[in-house]
Amino acid sequence: MKKHIGLLLSFVLVLLLAGCTGNAESTEQASDTSAEVVELVELVEDVAVYEGEGWSSAFYNEDMTGTVMNLYGVTDKVRPVLDAFEADTGIRVEHLTMKNGEILQRLSNEADAGVAIADLWFTGGADTFIEASQSDLLSPYKSPSGEGLDDKMKDAEGYWHGTSLTLVNWVVNKELIEEKGLKMPEKWDDLLQEGLKGEVSMSNPASSGTAYNVVSAVLETKGQEEGWAYLDGLIEQVPYFTARGSDPKKNVVVGEAIVGINASNGDRELEINNPHIALVYPTDGTGWWPQPVAIVKGTKNEEAAKVFIDWLLSKRGMKVIADSRNAAVARTDVEIPEGIVDISTLNLFVTDFQANAKNREGILEEWVKHVENK
Amino acid sequence: MGQTRRKQINTKKSAVMSTFLYHLWMIATLYGTLLPIIAVVVYGIGHEGNRSFTYYMLHALTYLGKSLMLSVPVTVIATVFATVLSITLWRIDFMGRGFSRGMALAPLLNPPFVGSISFIMLFGKRGLITHELLGLTVSPFGYWGVLVMQVIGLTTLGYLFISSGVRNMQTIYEEAARTSGASEWRIFRTVTLPILKPEILGGALLIFLASMADFGTPLIIGGPFQTLSSDLYIQITGLYDMTGAAISGAVLLMPCLIAFIAQRKVIKMRKYYGKDLQKYTLVYPSLHPLVRYGLIGCCFLFQGVILLKYGFIIIGAFTKNWGHDYTLTLEHFIAVSHREWTPFMNSMKLAVGVGSISSLLGILTAYVVHHGKTKSVRALEMVGTLPAAVPGILFGIGYLVTFKYPLFGAGQLYWSGGPRIVLLGTGLIIYIICIFRYLNVGLRAGLNLLEHQDPNIERAAYTLGAGRLRTLWTVSIPLLQPAFRIAFVKNFTSTMTTLGAIIFLLLPSNKVAVQQIFQIITSSEIGIAAAMSLSLSSLMGLMLLMFYGLIRHKKVYVTIRRLKG
Repeated sequence: MKKHIGLLLSFVLVLLLAGCTGNAESTEQASDTSAEVVELVELVEDVAVYEGEGWSSAFYNEDMTGTVMNLYGVTDKVRPVLDAFEADTGIRVEHLTMKNGEILQRLSNEADAGVAIADLWFTGGADTFIEASQSDLLSPYKSPSGEGLDDKMKDAEGYWHGTSLTLVNWVVNKELIEEKGLKMPEKWDDLLQEGLKGEVSMSNPASSGTAYNVVSAVLETKGQEEGWAYLDGLIEQVPYFTARGSDPKKNVVVGEAIVGINASNGDRELEINNPHIALVYPTDGTGWWPQPVAIVKGTKNEEAAKVFIDWLLSKRGMKVIADSRNAAVARTDVEIPEGIVDISTLNLFVTDFQANAKNREGILEEWVKHVENK
Repeated sequence: MGQTRRKQINTKKSAVMSTFLYHLWMIATLYGTLLPIIAVVVYGIGHEGNRSFTYYMLHALTYLGKSLMLSVPVTVIATVFATVLSITLWRIDFMGRGFSRGMALAPLLNPPFVGSISFIMLFGKRGLITHELLGLTVSPFGYWGVLVMQVIGLTTLGYLFISSGVRNMQTIYEEAARTSGASEWRIFRTVTLPILKPEILGGALLIFLASMADFGTPLIIGGPFQTLSSDLYIQITGLYDMTGAAISGAVLLMPCLIAFIAQRKVIKMRKYYGKDLQKYTLVYPSLHPLVRYGLIGCCFLFQGVILLKYGFIIIGAFTKNWGHDYTLTLEHFIAVSHREWTPFMNSMKLAVGVGSISSLLGILTAYVVHHGKTKSVRALEMVGTLPAAVPGILFGIGYLVTFKYPLFGAGQLYWSGGPRIVLLGTGLIIYIICIFRYLNVGLRAGLNLLEHQDPNIERAAYTLGAGRLRTLWTVSIPLLQPAFRIAFVKNFTSTMTTLGAIIFLLLPSNKVAVQQIFQIITSSEIGIAAAMSLSLSSLMGLMLLMFYGLIRHKKVYVTIRRLKG
C-alpha cells in the first residue's frame, strides 16, 4: 500500500513539474506576443487612436475592460476620479493610501524584489516623484494629452505629469479672530501682527514639504536679506514647529492655534464641515506645486497605465478632478467649478522645483540657525 | 505487557515529535522577529546617509534621553495605577464594581485617532473643561500631554496582567500572616506584593517597551516634545532618511534589552506557587475606611477621565459640528454607512486570526521557555519579546526588506532566476507580521501564570504516561487559558487599531479600517471620524463579548482524573 502511495506521489510530482515548465514557456510566449503588440501599436499609433468623449488614447482598446490596476497615493480622495475612469474605460483601478516616505520605501523595495504591486502612482509631493525618477523607479511616458501643459507642470523626460495644483493657504479660525479683535490676514505680513503671537501654527520645513515650499518661496520672492528678516518675524509667532504638514490645520480646527500655514489640494470640505474655519489665499502671492501622476516601472499593465495617464491629463480627466476634488487643475481649458479658487486670480510664487531640491540643505541649515537664535 | 510497550513507544514518539516541533518553532520565531530587526538596521546603515555616523549617534542619544524621561515615569505611574485598580476592583466590594471592571478595559477599545481629538477638545487651549469651565488657556501639547495620554492607555495593559494575578491569588498566606497579628500594610508589603511580583514586573516591562516604541502619541500631542520613536518616524516619512532611522532604532533597543534582563533577574529570584487550584475569597475582611475610600476614589477619578473622553466622542458622533454645534443628528452615521465596508471586514478577519493564532503561539512559547533549561530556550523569550520594543514602522520596513526575497527571505543568498516564491505582495505576510509582533503578550501572560503554577500537576500527568505533547494539550494548555484570554483581548484590539507596521505590506485589496479613519481625520471631517471610530470600537466590544461567551473555564481536574482512571 505504502509503495503505491509513494508511486502515486512521485507521479503527481512529475506532472506538477511538467506543468510548471509548460507554464513558464507559455508566459514567455505571451510576453513575446505582447512585445509584438507593442511594436504593432507603435507602428499604427497615428492611425488607431481611440477617441472617447473628451479624451483619447492610442493605447486603448475595448479588450482592456476588466483589467485591474493598483495605484499608490497619499489621499483617499482619488476614489471618485478612479471610478469615473472605470466608467469610461472599463479598467478598474484599486488604490492604496500611504504617506510620501512610505510610498518611496515600498516602491524601491518592491522594485528590488521584482514584485510590481503598484502600476500607477498618483498624488504626493513633487519632490518624491523627482527622487523616484532619479532612483529609476518610474517608467517615462510623454502623453499626447499632456502636450499643452506648462513646462513647470511636467517632467521634461516624461517621468511624471502634474494634474492638479496644491496651493499654500492659511486655515483661519474666524471665531477666534473676531473674539480677539484681530485683523483677518490677507497678506503675509499680516501673520506678524502682535495678537497672533503664539497663535500661528506652521510645520517644520525639514520634515514637511509644505513648510519648505513656503520658506523657499519667501526667499525667492523677497530675496535673501528681506526674506530672512520676514522669516525671523514669522519664527517669533510660531510656538513650535509641527512634525507634519497636516498638523497646523488640525491645530486650528480644534482651537489650539488661530492661523495655520497649510497646503491644500481641494480642501473645500474643510470650510463646509467647519463653519468656524476659513481658507484664505494670501493676496500678495502664494506657493504651489503640482500633484503628479506617474507609471511605476515594472508594471505588467504598461499599456493600460498609459491609457490612465492619457485619460487623466485629458480635458475629461481634469474636469473630473476639478469637480470631484474641488481642486485647481493644471489644464487651462477646463471650466472651474463654483467655490474653487481661480488660479488666474492668484499671484503664484515663481517656483523652481529643481533648484528647490538642490538648495534644500543650505536653506535648512540656515533655517535651524534662525530658529535657534529666536 | 503489550500495553506498557505501546505506551513507551508512544511516549518516545511524542518526545521526538515535540523536539522537532520545538526546533521548528525556534527557527520560525527567529525568522519572524529577529531577522527583520537585524535586516532593517543593516539596510539602513548600508544606505548612504546624508550625514556622518557621529551626527546620527549624537542625535539619537539626545532623543533617547527624552524617551527615557517620558517612559520611566510613565512605567512607574501606569504600573502603580494598574496595581491600585486591580486590587480595588477585585478585592474590595463596592457598588458599581461590575461596571468599573468593564470600564477598566475600555481604553483597549480606544477609537483610533479621535481619542486624542476628544482629549484636546476637552483639555486643550480652548478646551471645554480647561478653557470654558475653568477659564484656563493652557496648551496640553508637550511633555505632560504625552505623559497623561500614555498613562491612560498603558494602565490598561498593566491592569490586564496584574488583575489576572490578583484573581488567581491564594489568599491563604495572607490569612496566615493575619492570624499571627501582622498589620494589613505589612501583609500587603511582605506577602501580597511578592506574590504578584511576576505580574507587576511583567506588566511593567511591557508598559515600558510599549511607551518607548510608541510614536503615535508624541506625534499627535507632543508638540515640541518628540521622542526617539516619533523622531524616527519623522526621519522615515518626512526626511526619507533610512540611515538615521536605522541608527535610532538600534539605539532604542539598548535600554529595552537592559529592562528585559533586569526584569528577568528580579523575577527569577524567588518563586511562589500554591499547591492547589482552589479559589479563595479575595475580598479583604477588614480594611480601614480611609484606605478603602481612598482606593475607590482613586479608581473613580481614573475612570472619570476615561468616561469623559468617551462620552465626548459619543457626543461628537451624534451632533452636527463637534465642539461648535450640538444639534443632534445621525448624518455622520449615514455618511459612514455609505462608505466601503470591505476594509472593516478585512480588519475583523485579520484581528480574529491574529488574536487567536498569536496568542496561542505566545502561550505555547511561554510553556517551552518555562520548561526549557538550555540557554537557547531563554534566548527564545528575549527574541519573542523584542518586537514589543521596536516601533511599528521600523518593524514593517524590516519585513519589507527581508521578505522581498524569495524563499522567506533566504533566497537572497543563493537564488538567482527561476520561479520566485516571494511573500511580499501576498495577503499572508500581513498575518505573519502581526502574529510575531504580538507574540510577546501571550508569552508574557503565559510566563506570569506559569510562575505561580505547581509543576507537580503536569508531572502527575506525565508520570501517568500521557507523553509530552498530550500533557501539553490536555493539561498545560487548559491551565494556561487565563493567559490566552489576556493575550487575545490585547492582540485582537491592537491588530484592529494598528497601521504603522502593516502599511508597508498591505495590498490595495486588503485595506484596513484604520486607514480610512485616518484619512477622514486628515480631511478634518471629525464628526464622521468620530462616528466611524465609534462603530469600530463597538464592533470590537461586541466581538470581545462574544469571545468571553465562547471561552469558559474548563476544569483541569477532569482531565487528570480521566488519566488516572
